[in-house]
Amino acid sequence: MLNYIARRLIYIPLSLLLVLCAAFVVLRATGNPIDIFLDPNHTPEQADVLTARLHLDQPILVQFVIYLRDVLRGDFGDSLQFGGPAMPAVLDRLGATLELLAAALGVALVLGIFGGIACAVWRDRTPDFLISTIAIAAQSMPSFWLGILLIQIFAVDLRWLPTSGRGDGWHLILPAATLAAFVLPNFVLITRTSMLEVMGEPFVVTGKAKGLSAAKLLFTHVFPNALNPILSFLGIQVGRLVAGSIVTETIFSWPGIGRLLIGSIFQRDVPIVLAGVVVVSLFIILANLIVDLLLSINDPRIRLG
Amino acid sequence: MVHAAKLGHPTVTRPEGSRSHARVLLAATVMMMLGQAPAWAADTTLVVAAATFPDSLQTGISTFTSTSLLMQTYDPLVARTNKGDYVPALAESWEPAGDSAWRFHLRRGVKFHDGSGFTAEDVKFTLDRIINPQTAYGFAGRISQVSGVRIIDPYTVEVDTKGTFPILPKAVADMPMESKRRYETEGANVARRHPVGTGPFVYGKWIAGDRYELTANKSYWGGAPKVDRLLIRQVPEAATRVASLLSGEAQIVEELPIDVLGQVEASKVATVASIPTTVGLVLTFDPRKPPFDNPKVREALDLAVDKDLILKEILKSKGEVLDGQLLTRATFGHDASLKSRPYDPKRAKTLLQEAKFDFKTPITITTQSGKYVSDVDICNAVAGMFGEIGLNASVNVVEGGVFLKQWNAREMGPLYMVGWYSLGDADFATVWYTEAGKRTTWVNPEYEKLFAEARATNDTALRAKDYGRMMQILHDETPSIFLFGLPSLYGVSSKVSGFEAASDKILRLKDVAVK
Repeated sequence: MLNYIARRLIYIPLSLLLVLCAAFVVLRATGNPIDIFLDPNHTPEQADVLTARLHLDQPILVQFVIYLRDVLRGDFGDSLQFGGPAMPAVLDRLGATLELLAAALGVALVLGIFGGIACAVWRDRTPDFLISTIAIAAQSMPSFWLGILLIQIFAVDLRWLPTSGRGDGWHLILPAATLAAFVLPNFVLITRTSMLEVMGEPFVVTGKAKGLSAAKLLFTHVFPNALNPILSFLGIQVGRLVAGSIVTETIFSWPGIGRLLIGSIFQRDVPIVLAGVVVVSLFIILANLIVDLLLSINDPRIRLG
Repeated sequence: MVHAAKLGHPTVTRPEGSRSHARVLLAATVMMMLGQAPAWAADTTLVVAAATFPDSLQTGISTFTSTSLLMQTYDPLVARTNKGDYVPALAESWEPAGDSAWRFHLRRGVKFHDGSGFTAEDVKFTLDRIINPQTAYGFAGRISQVSGVRIIDPYTVEVDTKGTFPILPKAVADMPMESKRRYETEGANVARRHPVGTGPFVYGKWIAGDRYELTANKSYWGGAPKVDRLLIRQVPEAATRVASLLSGEAQIVEELPIDVLGQVEASKVATVASIPTTVGLVLTFDPRKPPFDNPKVREALDLAVDKDLILKEILKSKGEVLDGQLLTRATFGHDASLKSRPYDPKRAKTLLQEAKFDFKTPITITTQSGKYVSDVDICNAVAGMFGEIGLNASVNVVEGGVFLKQWNAREMGPLYMVGWYSLGDADFATVWYTEAGKRTTWVNPEYEKLFAEARATNDTALRAKDYGRMMQILHDETPSIFLFGLPSLYGVSSKVSGFEAASDKILRLKDVAVK
């Protein structure tokens, strides 16, 4: 197991390198920071200073190598917009995003799994029909539309919740619900399918014949066997959630990393974008690693070593 | 003293019963007997929802959103008003000192928020810092003719310029005067994060991408603000901004989207405040390439656009149709004798046929999305109107960075949309049609000559005459289709008084009161 973790950790720098390279090339190829960041009235001297600072007079590969060298020294460069170092500016915003992701993922997982189990147990009956229909409807609702709808109902009409911003727990409810709705239907459907598959296995029939109670059968025999597809799916959903959080953060003015990245991409603030990409990629990679470990714990047949 | 109203926690005011009124009165009486002013009685908070935030409070980011936040804590030497006039601020008066210098007489007794006095040292420090290329100060280009600053006495400075530079007093209006002492004692990093200025509000707390909290500067030289606290929140999504206005969370909302004006007016809890900006929205040709090198072709396309209809239907009659020239009506240099070419599709078609124009020529209109009010909608409407006379027009929406890259290479295709702001003086906008602006593909020697002449004289009458002639040239040559002076739109809660829409989109909140 430790061997496996070590091997996975070795791949992290490689993945990060690829991601960085892609982001760097795309950002530089589609816009010059001098045109975008400096005022159109900028003086030639100002352009020279920025060119020298970002090594823009060098070929793009050399620029990338210089950048990597600095990163290896722990220096992600100074943000063009903030004036300060890029990494702390990104980490400053990480807390807000993690809070939102954790809340949304928690809600989506719990409701999704229980909803899926209910669907499987009452297969083709009213609860299954209701939950599946809602799940499919929710899946086809775009986040920005749902978000604005929730604001209109709960903030403008009922005035129960604030429209936007980050503050106390009340501020978290609408954005977390919107983001959860983005992935929850998938959890319902995958849990339902996975549970149904296991419920048809011979050992379940044996359990029934043995006289096990329905609840015991469901939670100690069926669910653990149905859990692995759900966990694998969770790993994939983390990446989707991070992408979805950008829209949610924008609608609800949530001061997270997604909005920071979008703004920085438009500004071609390369140091911030790359620092952000490293943080987000690390987060996704680690989340997937944890999921893999959970898989092996749940099902010892999965040999990680 | 503890303040009752907590910043950042939106409260919804509900009508109070008479019993609670009585309780409030009782509490007030008790507190006054104890010799305390009741904090909550005076503690009013103004909440503004801004569309965009700069990423930091450092000075020198050349966007109006940055300037708008900075001017809460700082003052410039010369201030602009909401209507676009220039009035004394930290400089009480100014005059040319010879042909190549301006003398500024500073206001006495002005204090920075840390209690230190504002003097000529601070002016010299600020301007020197701006013109230093290492600072990468966004507005540096506006005063690139400044060669040095001399302190005459603690309340008089002279700014030397390379040659005569008539617009210097207007050019410094977006430059906040910073404290030399603060940079020297705390360093640039602290000064950048925690602004200490002379302005109407005092820095409280800044959370990037979220909120900016300030308190009133009770000893402001221009009179204390009418609210105790100011909270400016960034709410990037337009629909959410409108929701925050209608739910009572925010009292002033910037960049109100044009399609909800009716909804806001009908809500009865808020109104719309609008004013024309100095931004002239235009569609610019590339006259280097046939068939657009023919002025008759450009004129014909101008005639094919029904600007009045677009103003009425898309801009909901906010803003103005440009008078066949670059400058908006309120701008110095605007030529009142010029009028927009009346919509005439028949004549447009005739002119094109006379010019032997190939109607299959693709006319791509390149634009950014969300850069200007209804930008893409306006381009689509124009493309539709071109289509009505049989032209082959389409709209190409590109991302901002890509747009700038193409622009810098001067390869924008046959037509592209851009807005030029003048901030009330022709110089700032007309430069973009000269070689010095490094943007134009249309070049006219007479225009260049007039621009250089107007920039190098303090003779206002001569400048007005030069700009008038330049507008005439732009009108006749039609390097661009001159569309609209764009509006600046705000949603304002009916609980607020004293707020005015600003033509330069800078928040001026000193005289705003909240009921």
